[in-house]
Amino acid sequence: MAEEENEFEEFEQIDFLRDRHVRFFQRTLQVLPERYASLETTRLTIVFFALSGLDVLDALEVIDRNVMIEYIYSLQVLPTEDQSNLSRCGFRGSSHIGIPYSTKGPGVLHPYDSGHVAMTYTGLCSLLILGDDLSRVNKQACLAGLRALQLEDGSFYAVPEGSENDIRFIYCAASICYMLDNWSGMDIQKAIEYIRGSLSYDSGFGQGAGRESHGGWTYCAIASLCLMGRLEEALSQRELDRIRRWCIMRQQSGFHGRPNKPVDTCYSFWVGATLELLDVFQYTNFEKNRSFILSTQDRLVGGFAKWPDSHPDPLHAYLGLCGLSLIGEPNLKKVHPGLNITQRAFQHLQQLQQTWRDNTDTCGRQH
Amino acid sequence: MSDIEETVESVQVNEDKEFDVEVEEHIEDEFAVDPTRYIFYRDRKEWADLEPVPQDDGPNPVVKIAYSEKFSDVYDYFRALLKNDEKTERAFALTADAIDLNAANYTVWHYRRVLLQALSKDLKEEMKYITNIIEEQPKNYQVWHHRRMVVEWLNDPSEELQFIADILSQDAKNYHAWQHRQWVIQEYKLWDNELEFVENLLEEDVRNNSAWNQRHFVISHTTGFSDPAVVEREIQMLQDRGLSSQPGLLERVLELKETHCSPYLLAFLFDCYEDALENIAQKEKVEEEEQKETLRKALEICQLLAQEKDTIRKEYWEFLGRSLRNKYGNGTLSDEPMAENPEPSISASQSQEAS
Repeated sequence: MAEEENEFEEFEQIDFLRDRHVRFFQRTLQVLPERYASLETTRLTIVFFALSGLDVLDALEVIDRNVMIEYIYSLQVLPTEDQSNLSRCGFRGSSHIGIPYSTKGPGVLHPYDSGHVAMTYTGLCSLLILGDDLSRVNKQACLAGLRALQLEDGSFYAVPEGSENDIRFIYCAASICYMLDNWSGMDIQKAIEYIRGSLSYDSGFGQGAGRESHGGWTYCAIASLCLMGRLEEALSQRELDRIRRWCIMRQQSGFHGRPNKPVDTCYSFWVGATLELLDVFQYTNFEKNRSFILSTQDRLVGGFAKWPDSHPDPLHAYLGLCGLSLIGEPNLKKVHPGLNITQRAFQHLQQLQQTWRDNTDTCGRQH
Repeated sequence: MSDIEETVESVQVNEDKEFDVEVEEHIEDEFAVDPTRYIFYRDRKEWADLEPVPQDDGPNPVVKIAYSEKFSDVYDYFRALLKNDEKTERAFALTADAIDLNAANYTVWHYRRVLLQALSKDLKEEMKYITNIIEEQPKNYQVWHHRRMVVEWLNDPSEELQFIADILSQDAKNYHAWQHRQWVIQEYKLWDNELEFVENLLEEDVRNNSAWNQRHFVISHTTGFSDPAVVEREIQMLQDRGLSSQPGLLERVLELKETHCSPYLLAFLFDCYEDALENIAQKEKVEEEEQKETLRKALEICQLLAQEKDTIRKEYWEFLGRSLRNKYGNGTLSDEPMAENPEPSISASQSQEAS
């Protein structure tokens, strides 16, 4: 009798609550209370989590695409009349600087207005997810802004004013170049050197040389190399085997990000996607991974948290879904592990890029 | 993990502030002018010359944050200062209010740094300020970056190791803290006592991976690992934790296997055998018996891991076993520990698909 009850409980707890997650992302896209103030400068990444989350759930019909597209374009830092701010172009995280709302150029001259590499990356992804053709993106300006962020050692700042520099922003830069189909935005060789330099003695990647290996930075390293098409050039077979080993040892039930740390839902994507890029995700334990992710599901408000019985947030809600998508959860769209958008959005990108190439061929002009 | 994750974690901290504002507004009704009550910037005479700049999200804001009056007021004036690039004491004071409300706003921190230089502010005071903020919000990227800038300007790392030790005493794995520590040590060549510091942390928690990483960091930048005396010392350190000694790496590990049969140890053994197989294969005259025996031992380890010691990674260990057999086995092996196991006709991912 008791065993039957337990099985019934278990079944209830591993029920995937699609509609709750759709509503979670819808609410995220509307209004957040003041206690989320620390997200102000990164709001565009939150937009991305919600939109891509809805895409994975195949629920984009619940939002108004045009409204979203206009809002995202209002965050583009465009060149001024005299083009003096090219090295600061890209996308902003939000309107926090106080530039008046505008979706058209020319840019407004302001002493402190500039793009942020992670916002340019998530801005472009979001536009693709919404089916936009990127025709209003000033690609040359974005690439100029990107070039201005790379340091001698190959890593990137987030903003031209300066910030910390590390492997996260190499991933953002590689994604931007990949999407724009234009690698003039970065010195690939230097970036590869920085990535190689971040490979730890235990075969995970740290945020930079000498630092502790970590699931998130390992994703940034491997995904960047894959997007650049340089994985096997940059790393030997032996190194790749050791990296596979480091990653696969992160599974405890779900995955953790560092040895002897607790498991956390988001690593089901960071580490899972890395394993997928390295062709060995199929050898992980899907059942235990799934059980853990679903144990962090918030059955009331939707979304996922990092741990069971914790508050859900947009990042873990999105990455939890991606983690489930990797193991083939029914009714979730497949995610491109390198670019972290659905395969559907990725195909839209591929079609766009084909159009650009065709246009360049026929007119001989740059798109 | 990411900037985002850690700013979201810090979200909980700000809940108290909302409450404070409400209390203050209530007090206003009951008392006469109280010198300690909060006055909005828009009501301060000394700010009357400045036109506040509201945030403009356009007709259809997305992921809009609902700010209180107090919050909007501070930031409306911050935006005004920014627009004029005003470099004054009042601007500097306002940045502290803005940081108090949102310490993750990198523009505020940048602007504060511009003012620190333009106004030639006391950087030692700034060190005290940033120390307090990091103690409150130790997982915020901006505050650590700010501290690094101030230390660089002062060219004075004398407080750093103690400060970071204090932060680590609250969370011994704080990635920001360790990163800052590595930067300080490398930049100012403060290697001398670091090994001892690491040993103390390992005393508290031998499983602290950050501490082990730091150990590798120090040794690789100082003595290096090629000196046999260094290797001996490292082994001695492990021996002092109850592990026995034997000459030769493989023999040592095999002995350990008897009493400490962890997946990591077995995986290490597997790697040793794999390396041995590669060495054998590269010799001019391949020793077939040796190869067979080494392969047998390696496959035995795979099976032990897959069936018993590390079952969560069963598929992976079986995959490694297959790969090894394909590479080094030949069809005539008759005493293989694993049953004949050709590549499965469906992919492993198909067979594992979640129901």
